[in-house]
Amino acid sequence: MIAAALIHPHGPYIDWAALSPLVALVGGSVVVLMVGLLRSRFARTQVVPFLTLVSLGVTIGFVIWQWHRHVAAISGALAFDQLTGTITLLVAAGGIAATLLSWRGQAPRESAHGDFYSMMLGSITGMVVLVAAQNLVTLFVGLELLSIPLYVLCATEMHRAASLEAGLKYLIVGSVGSATLVYGLALIYGATGSTDFSGIAGSISQGHSSDVLLLTGIALLTVGLAFKASIAPFHQWTPDVYEGAPTPVTAFMAVATKAAAFGVLLRVFDVMLPAEHLNWRPALLVLAAISIVVGNVGALGQSSLKRLLGYSSVAQAGYILAGVAVATTLGARATILYLVVYLLMNIAAFGAIVARERMTPYGDDFDAVAGLGAEDPWLAWPLTIAMLALAGVPATAGFIGKFFLIDALVGAGYTWLAILIVVGSMISLGYYLRVINAVWMRSAPGPSASAAAGVPVIAGGSPEADALGQTHIELRFAAVVFGGATVFFGIVPQPLFDLAQHAANTLSGAL
Amino acid sequence: MTIAWYLAVSALIFAIGVGGVLVRRNPLVVLLCLELMLNAANLALIGFSRMWGNDDGQIFALIVMVVAACEVTVGLGVIVAMHRHRLPIDVDSMRELQG
Repeated sequence: MIAAALIHPHGPYIDWAALSPLVALVGGSVVVLMVGLLRSRFARTQVVPFLTLVSLGVTIGFVIWQWHRHVAAISGALAFDQLTGTITLLVAAGGIAATLLSWRGQAPRESAHGDFYSMMLGSITGMVVLVAAQNLVTLFVGLELLSIPLYVLCATEMHRAASLEAGLKYLIVGSVGSATLVYGLALIYGATGSTDFSGIAGSISQGHSSDVLLLTGIALLTVGLAFKASIAPFHQWTPDVYEGAPTPVTAFMAVATKAAAFGVLLRVFDVMLPAEHLNWRPALLVLAAISIVVGNVGALGQSSLKRLLGYSSVAQAGYILAGVAVATTLGARATILYLVVYLLMNIAAFGAIVARERMTPYGDDFDAVAGLGAEDPWLAWPLTIAMLALAGVPATAGFIGKFFLIDALVGAGYTWLAILIVVGSMISLGYYLRVINAVWMRSAPGPSASAAAGVPVIAGGSPEADALGQTHIELRFAAVVFGGATVFFGIVPQPLFDLAQHAANTLSGAL
Repeated sequence: MTIAWYLAVSALIFAIGVGGVLVRRNPLVVLLCLELMLNAANLALIGFSRMWGNDDGQIFALIVMVVAACEVTVGLGVIVAMHRHRLPIDVDSMRELQG
């Protein structure tokens, strides 16, 4: 009997069915890395991205298979519920889009295809772990698993100084954020004596609330997560890194990192710290207000499309944070709905921008999209739709997202922030319409202008342009599908409501 | 000794780390200062672990060490790549991207 117990020690029970999305991602990451070592050029440039897509598709399949189960896996360290499921679907969709955008790009060629896609899958694994985390240790591991591959991905276009610089800047700023977060987690552990979210919530409700140690810890934790979600005033890295990183990586960072960061913000504030809401809610509301103002005003004067979208993402982070801050089921629902919408509009925009970067010598400057409407309507329409949706124009999904956020804010009695969102959207028309103006009203700069401008108008310009004149079918596909979805869900929003409702209901026990 | 002294030392180390990240120009030294910040958190974690009499904090500290090593590896890799491209190894001269 004893001998048998020694031979077969009983570890914690592992629910492999619940873990299957993670297994698909980690397995895909390893397989992709190995196939990337093959000598055949076809295997490296075509099979590797294809296997990445397969891995992400299998992940989505497993999430749908496990949709109605709520499991606490690995001794309660990870929770696979519908919030985790929804965010996993989002980041996997973002990963599929980023794979399509980088299929024939410069970045994977320069850093070896296997490494590039393997790191992308690793980062997605981190996002899933982060959102599923149920204790402070898994939260930290997920955050770092998300971040460290992203630092490398930013620096993958190694011949370009801007890419390396973006990688190092993101590494330093991101690590400061993580170190701050870890210190905050240490203080929360010190104040409550537990690393489990439920244990911490229990300890707080038993009278440890408003402890200085705990409040300092929550403040540092908020700052650390704000760095990741690029919430002002912790956003300074965002425009620089968005501009310097390879554009497909920028698209991936914009949509997937944001979804994961807000997923964990919902989890932390609504599950771990609901009893402290009187203390953190004003802070989050103020951060949201600052982000809306800083992001929208900062985007006005930009001449680079990627920088513009960087500032725009700060403003959008402000809108989404407002949904987290109200801390009602309605707010959580609006947050998740907006994350889905944000993914759709941004991928449509980035698809068009990546295509123009490869077709024209202007990089991501406004000149790259000038005259696009006459030249190439299949790219011009997705870009136009994306810009209108980001500004919140009705009949696009962006309007539905903003409508629900404002509804949640007014319902909770924060009308001032709802008004600020409307004012921010009005300011944002000032820069989104400039893009649309360039697409439809301006004529394409002539060949002489491009010769006079020299090849790299701005850093990030020339390297992507080396495949001039190709058709870029996969970029068109991504832009058209996600642009079409933006319009479709603007007119038929019911599927999005249901998805957000399911995800928010998993939090409603705590709210 | 009470936990307060350990916390004071840990907070001091954290502050030194933050100060170093803000004022030093050499990315290598910036990475060292990041290590200081993480190790300040480790000290706090281990102190609290002793205070509460459970092992959670010690396990957390071990994991923080692993992650710190990964971060430094990536950081050094990027710095070596910059050096090979004859880029200046100086945080202040990184002006390719206007922040």
